[in-house]
Amino acid sequence: MELAVKNVSKTYGNLLVLNKINLKIDEGQIVCVIGPSGCGKSTLLRLIGGLENPDTGSIEARGIPPSDCLNPLTFIFQDFSLLPWRTVEKNISLVLEDHGLSTSNRNEIIRSVLRRTKLTEFSDRWPRELSGGMKQRVGIARALAVNPSVLLMDEPLSALDSQTSEILLVDLIELWEKQRFTSVYITHNLSEAIRIGHKIVVMSRRPGEIRETVNIDSEIMDREIRNIELEEHLWNLLRDEAMAAEWELENE
Amino acid sequence: MSDKKNNYTTISFRGGGFQFKNNYWISPTVFIVLLLLWHFGSTLGFISNLVLPKPTEVLIAFHDLYVTGDLYLHVGASLKRLILGWTLGTIIGIIIGFAIGLFALVRAGLAPIVAAIFPIPKIALLPLFIIWFGIGELSKINLILFGTLFPTIIATYGAIDNVDRSLIRLGQSFNLSWFSITRKIVFTASLPAILSNMRITAAIAIILIVAAELIAAEKGIGAYIQMAGSLFAIDRLLAGIIILSCMGLIANWLIGLTERKLLKWRNL
Repeated sequence: MELAVKNVSKTYGNLLVLNKINLKIDEGQIVCVIGPSGCGKSTLLRLIGGLENPDTGSIEARGIPPSDCLNPLTFIFQDFSLLPWRTVEKNISLVLEDHGLSTSNRNEIIRSVLRRTKLTEFSDRWPRELSGGMKQRVGIARALAVNPSVLLMDEPLSALDSQTSEILLVDLIELWEKQRFTSVYITHNLSEAIRIGHKIVVMSRRPGEIRETVNIDSEIMDREIRNIELEEHLWNLLRDEAMAAEWELENE
Repeated sequence: MSDKKNNYTTISFRGGGFQFKNNYWISPTVFIVLLLLWHFGSTLGFISNLVLPKPTEVLIAFHDLYVTGDLYLHVGASLKRLILGWTLGTIIGIIIGFAIGLFALVRAGLAPIVAAIFPIPKIALLPLFIIWFGIGELSKINLILFGTLFPTIIATYGAIDNVDRSLIRLGQSFNLSWFSITRKIVFTASLPAILSNMRITAAIAIILIVAAELIAAEKGIGAYIQMAGSLFAIDRLLAGIIILSCMGLIANWLIGLTERKLLKWRNL
């Protein structure tokens, strides 16, 4: 499935958060969105996922999701959003329960996604027993369970320490190699974006606008850990904005 | 820290205190010491028997209550009113609380009325309830129902207001049905607050039943205390009070048991 964001604007009260955003997300492509904090990148993702309504413009999808896709646009959240009263297995089960699947069918899916995210031994654990990285693995497993067409990732690694986020980033890259999912990946980490993105969209401070789009042609698997040159280029675009954003008041 | 350049001194520990250790034997000891003080105070004449009879006399009053079958009569009458009134008040309260928490229209209509009735001391309604429902069981059960209903409504919709929005958003993002989100996310998330409110309403129910029975009843712990008071039988009066304390403790223990069962995801 491919997505097109067409001329989308969004205001909260009389605060313009996003201004005329145009963006195309191609099938099998990971589009990274970077920008200073408060630039509306999470809002953009929620708009794409249908959790909010744009004031003007539209978000359009093309192509029919495969028949076994239970939830075409699926989120992976920064704060994991696991239900603390459900075990790992039951947290994944939650998103399958409304689809009239047989119990054996459901268990089959759960077993498969737990295996793919290396969580098999943790199926009976409570979220509070897991480390941050493990919690996010559950978040990823839950997203994979519904066989999504597009993964909408909202800073999925930001709440993790840098070692854990490196490990999970590699896992995500391997996962993409196997499944070639389409994805919008919000992050504020430049090197993360350079590692996993096919296209990097740089946004400006409020009102959020697209400043530049950078395409990276090299295969994701073959990339170096750092690409200093590109990182510096992106940082030059962002530095002043990030410094100005730092002094802004939240939700003013 | 060293006084001379090359001499090390041990850094003294300063992080202690402010911690609770379990001393299981302390509280029984305090209890027994108090009982002994009371007992010897009474036998040696420091405490007048008119003011406070000996603990053994209270025990005898308790024994009489048991032998004559009055214990069953009074506790039974109070418990029946308590259980009926509290259960109905809690169930109806949770239902109305959910309606207010989930539907803006219901909230706009009912929340102000609830806020207006909540602060009324419910015992002030007893004369009205006696006129409406008669002197019998119905006025007392309704009083307890009313007394537990409003705190439950407020606690329930307060709990729903406090449910983590990101979990609701999670449910929506996976296309869970409205009913699924309500049952599997909103209800479970508000359960801890609803259960801890039950402790409070159990205490309110006991206060109300005693007050109601003090005013107008032939049976019940309140009526028993009232009779003992008018006969100046302080031993029986104290026996009644001890029964009330036990009822409160048992109610609290039962709710604790329910919490441990339903909220086992919370405690490690």
